[in-house]
Amino acid sequence: MHNGLNMIVCVKQVPDPEGPPTSYRVDEEARTVTFQGIPPVVSPFDENALELALGLAGVHGGTVTLMSLGSRFSPAVMLKALATGADDLVLVEMNGDTAPDSFATARLLAAAISRRGGFDLVLAGIQASDTNAGQVGPGIAELLGIPVIPRACHADVTDGRLVVKHAVPGGHETVGVPLRELPVVLTVGFEAGELRYPHLAAIKAAKEKPQARWDASDVAGMSPPGNLLEIVGLRAPKRERRCLLIEGDTPEEQGESLAVRLREDGVL
Amino acid sequence: MDGAALDTDTSGALVKVDVDELTRGLYYCMHCSLCKAVLPSEVGSDRFSEVCPPGARYRFDAFFGSGRAGFYRAFFTGEFGFDESPRLPEVVYSCQNCGSCSISCRYTSAIGQVDLERATEIMRARCVEEGLSPVEHSLMVQSMRQEDNVLGEPKAARGDWAEGLGLKDINSEKAEILFHAGCRYSYDADLRSAVRDAAGVLVAAGLDVGIAGKDEACCGGRAYEVGYQGELVKYADDMASRIRASGATTVVTPCADCYYTFRRLFPLVGRPLEVEVLHINEMIARLIAKGVITFKEMVPLRVTYHDPCHIGRKMYPEFMYEVPRLILGEIPGVELVEMERIRDCTWCCGAGGGVLEAYPEFNDWTAGERVAEALSTGADALVSSCPWCERNFIDAVAGAGAGMHVYDVVELVGAAMGGVQDGNRK
Repeated sequence: MHNGLNMIVCVKQVPDPEGPPTSYRVDEEARTVTFQGIPPVVSPFDENALELALGLAGVHGGTVTLMSLGSRFSPAVMLKALATGADDLVLVEMNGDTAPDSFATARLLAAAISRRGGFDLVLAGIQASDTNAGQVGPGIAELLGIPVIPRACHADVTDGRLVVKHAVPGGHETVGVPLRELPVVLTVGFEAGELRYPHLAAIKAAKEKPQARWDASDVAGMSPPGNLLEIVGLRAPKRERRCLLIEGDTPEEQGESLAVRLREDGVL
Repeated sequence: MDGAALDTDTSGALVKVDVDELTRGLYYCMHCSLCKAVLPSEVGSDRFSEVCPPGARYRFDAFFGSGRAGFYRAFFTGEFGFDESPRLPEVVYSCQNCGSCSISCRYTSAIGQVDLERATEIMRARCVEEGLSPVEHSLMVQSMRQEDNVLGEPKAARGDWAEGLGLKDINSEKAEILFHAGCRYSYDADLRSAVRDAAGVLVAAGLDVGIAGKDEACCGGRAYEVGYQGELVKYADDMASRIRASGATTVVTPCADCYYTFRRLFPLVGRPLEVEVLHINEMIARLIAKGVITFKEMVPLRVTYHDPCHIGRKMYPEFMYEVPRLILGEIPGVELVEMERIRDCTWCCGAGGGVLEAYPEFNDWTAGERVAEALSTGADALVSSCPWCERNFIDAVAGAGAGMHVYDVVELVGAAMGGVQDGNRK
């Protein structure tokens, strides 16, 4: 028998991707996206990762630690995540407003995870909703020198193995990892399910859970790694919409004209 | 400056805030402190002379309108920020945004209007963008997204209240009037009789009324008021699409919050409704004036009336103070005894501006203060025109161990018409 898995779930605070598109603006000059009236939230795939971890802990025991890298953390966002059932929270704080790129994020998180130690699983969303880069999870695995199972949908512990069902092109694959071979990194997609809804009593209780704040410079043991990626241009695609009325005396004629037009335009 | 500080951008989509203009307005505050109490001409007694719930509760200037004007101004000019005070969001959200300070300022400032309602909304939007809004509000917004209501109730049950009333379903039929129940009235079992009376009166009057049932959605106003301004656009579009589907020329709602959202907040995001919007009180007053409905039954009741902020002073200058009193005056047997703080000087029920969700103890205290005032009149019933106020008062009356009834005006109308919940024309 094992005593449950000690899991670290990496959660990124992002501007709410569910907010109305009209609230976002692309600032081409500053090469950034600005938003108005939009709150920060935990990136949705990271929520799926947390749900997968909470599900495992619920069945097999163990601990769930939330870890987040960034600056200007929202107490409400982190509290809500904690209230879903995680045990503790580690915030790795960066100074300054420059957002770290995927490489810098993976380096800092890998260093923070090492510092934390004693973990069996690291979970992260397959990609963050603000960048969609999808590199941090595999990056952490590479830097820690441990395997990664991408796009996990479900995980369980049976017969001394961590059994993970994960999405592969065109289907699913189930892989088993002997518990003695852990740790591994799982990146998690929407298939793992929506994060459970925390109730008010849980939110009240979550205020008492341990929360640590680590300075990113301390974690890295040096000055934080700089970005390797430079954004040289950022623009929103132009959207043009035209409305054409297809002529015809009968529905059949109209249908024929429409088909001809679609073929001419290369749509069919 | 009501509404003038905000306009929409060229796409008509996003709330754009002219913070500079709003900030200039905040400089008009001379700290005269007339926003701290009932207007001097309206003071009745010491006991009921306070008018600002957060100020009366917390006693620091920052919680009153004048203090807010000061630190909002400093915030908008960059002299002061979230880093300076970790309690800043708490102060910003410990306020029902009931409009009592704004209305005092309108009547007493000799040099210019300080628009604290809009400024509070903008401060809250900043809190939301920084992730500093109360977590309870994020749960409420999550519920709005998942179930289209602020109460975390299942969307599928939204239309259950209307069973057997003979209302059209606008998803399959056209109707001249779209009746919008609102979240609280759709789900609160204790208020079911009131919302059934509200729709029932229209049916009894022979009007062509439809509802969206389970497809009705929240008006979105509560999200806007707690700083989630971006959310309002989709609710406004949603409401417009339901109106189009129904073919309705008039929207009638018994909810003061929804009414205010349709009339005042939708235009702020460039989405005014293209149809007439009426509170149920206004429709009933019309039906009385035309002689369409008459009150035959005696309703022997001594009542006192609470003015909801959202159809009262927040609607400046289109106050709905007289309409409900006129209706009550028409009902045989009803005797109206007024509280000290009424109309412009109303003491808020406590539920507004996200206080109910984030600061329940402050909410309960505020409602308790109002119920104490209502009890002091000797009335048998506390009557209002808003489900949020009524819910709060029901709880506060129970908390006080008092025997006072809480009614909506429409319930007295329904009783005076001999009952209107059978789906028949009277």
